[in-house]
Amino acid sequence: MKVADFLASRQEAWRKLVTLCQQLERVKKRKLKPEMVSDFAARYRAACADLALADAYQLPPGAVQYLHQLVGRAHNQLYRTRKLGLAAGCRILLHETPARLVRDRVLWLAMAIFWGVWILSMGLAYYSSQFAHTVLGEAGIEQLQESFAERIDGRDADGSGMMVGFYIMHNTGIGLQCFAFGTLLGIGGLFATVFNAAFLGASFGFMLTVPERDNFFHFVTAHGPFELTAIVLSAAAGMRLGFSQIDTGGLGRLASLRRAGKRTMPTMIVAIVLFALAGLIEGFLSPSAAPYWVKAAVAIASALLLVFYLFGLGLRGSSPDAI
Amino acid sequence: MVSQLDSRIEIVTPENIAFEYRLAGPFRRLPAYLIDFALRAGVLYAAGVVLPAGFGLIGAERLGIGMVLVCWFLLSWFYGGFFETYWNGQTPGKRVMKLRVLTADGQPITGLQAVLRNVLRAVDSLPLVPIPGDELFRPVLPLYILGLLAAAMSDRFQRLGDLVCGTIVIVELPQRLHGLAQVTDEGAIELARSLPADISIDRALARALAAYVERRRVFAVSRRSEIARALGEPLCARYSLPPDTSHDLLLMALYYRAFISDRVVREDAASMGIPAPARAAALPGGSSA
Repeated sequence: MKVADFLASRQEAWRKLVTLCQQLERVKKRKLKPEMVSDFAARYRAACADLALADAYQLPPGAVQYLHQLVGRAHNQLYRTRKLGLAAGCRILLHETPARLVRDRVLWLAMAIFWGVWILSMGLAYYSSQFAHTVLGEAGIEQLQESFAERIDGRDADGSGMMVGFYIMHNTGIGLQCFAFGTLLGIGGLFATVFNAAFLGASFGFMLTVPERDNFFHFVTAHGPFELTAIVLSAAAGMRLGFSQIDTGGLGRLASLRRAGKRTMPTMIVAIVLFALAGLIEGFLSPSAAPYWVKAAVAIASALLLVFYLFGLGLRGSSPDAI
Repeated sequence: MVSQLDSRIEIVTPENIAFEYRLAGPFRRLPAYLIDFALRAGVLYAAGVVLPAGFGLIGAERLGIGMVLVCWFLLSWFYGGFFETYWNGQTPGKRVMKLRVLTADGQPITGLQAVLRNVLRAVDSLPLVPIPGDELFRPVLPLYILGLLAAAMSDRFQRLGDLVCGTIVIVELPQRLHGLAQVTDEGAIELARSLPADISIDRALARALAAYVERRRVFAVSRRSEIARALGEPLCARYSLPPDTSHDLLLMALYYRAFISDRVVREDAASMGIPAPARAAALPGGSSA
């Protein structure tokens, strides 16, 4: 058969496949008729066969290119994005992620750096106001004292709603940035950890020495555990990404980075959830007039929840690295 | 066949055939990004007008502002991830520019990959240059230098986010099937008949003929003869044609013989005892769907 005859005989089938592709690109997948799906699959396979034999048919380059494009387009309609089901999502978030986190040395390293620098900075700021002034800056110190000059006696619900939005956007954004910058050899995550710990520790140490102390602790207690853990989690995930390029575990650097990306993304989802919870508490409960013991109880409950998540869920399963 | 070095990627499907994709470079992805950006800005602006006003009716304007901030956060971090998960690797901008995100081995991406490659945009977009704004709203201009560098050094135009996720962006240009070039020139058909019956046109030659004849329309006459000479001269010598044969005409005649009609050959070949359709019969004739 000559190419001209061949093209004439197949053209109609290819056109139909194009039409089917166009329909599939528009219609919702659940509403497809079974006949249409099987017709599509058959035509797709026929086009595959034509492309496989294009060289033998000596098709001209234009026609081969057309077939490449046609097969590619149909391929993308047949093989589609796998959405994460509820069951799979739960397994990843409640089983694999805590199991991986609790055994992740980078997380414990980040924790150690964060709390170590925190305590050091807090002690230094408590005993030397010069240190506090250096780390926080004059403007920072003024702002701190001004913010907590008045008793915490509740904001209206309307204003709290706005602040929840602000906290979620601002804090989660910082966490995600920490994580993303980790790609650059983990320096971003490391820097963010040290910086946050030094700054927050100095704030705490300084506020212990001034009369606004009670107002300050009234405000920060309730959302502290969730927010601080979320920051450390993000930074640790970023450091994981960065260190995976140095300690590759026998893989190529890129492959190691890819593996780390796949493993740390669920951690970031946990961190985002924690940031959102912290934002809600920080917006509604922390500035409210509720007595201190309520806020302390929330802090303890959230800390216990975190401990349960990491150790209770994490140590139950086997190490997920074999998965 | 020598495969092209770059901007193409070969995928082997479960049907065990290989097909090619064109990779999308920065100049195709930038417009898609700008379209997405405009869309995001538009939605955010609309939310910024509607939500505070709407909540203002029930006396909670600042709650509305809080919701706008959450919208802003979601749009800036998860817009791409959301669409690439639910639109099979495309955002609205990518759909307009006919782009699609796939894994490096041609499979559809998973939801996690879609989200991760868009979160890592934060690194690719570095450095950020601040644009003057007011105290509340501090816009920055992402220069995407890191992403551009990574894409330039990768052989598959992958920015850092793509490298970490193992994804690529491909072009899905809907192409028209142009079919064969029409050879209506009497002289060419005449020449085709007069060529020896047993000329064998191998694949490389067939490809070169198609590349020339299907494109010769766009060239001027003198340009045609210039291009055709490279192939025409050795072919003239091979078939011992008179040296004043038009090379353009010769290539058209060979194209005619290779792709459109063998009838001249068949008559002659039959007389020489060779079953003419033997070659054609060896190939499965167009498996019908």
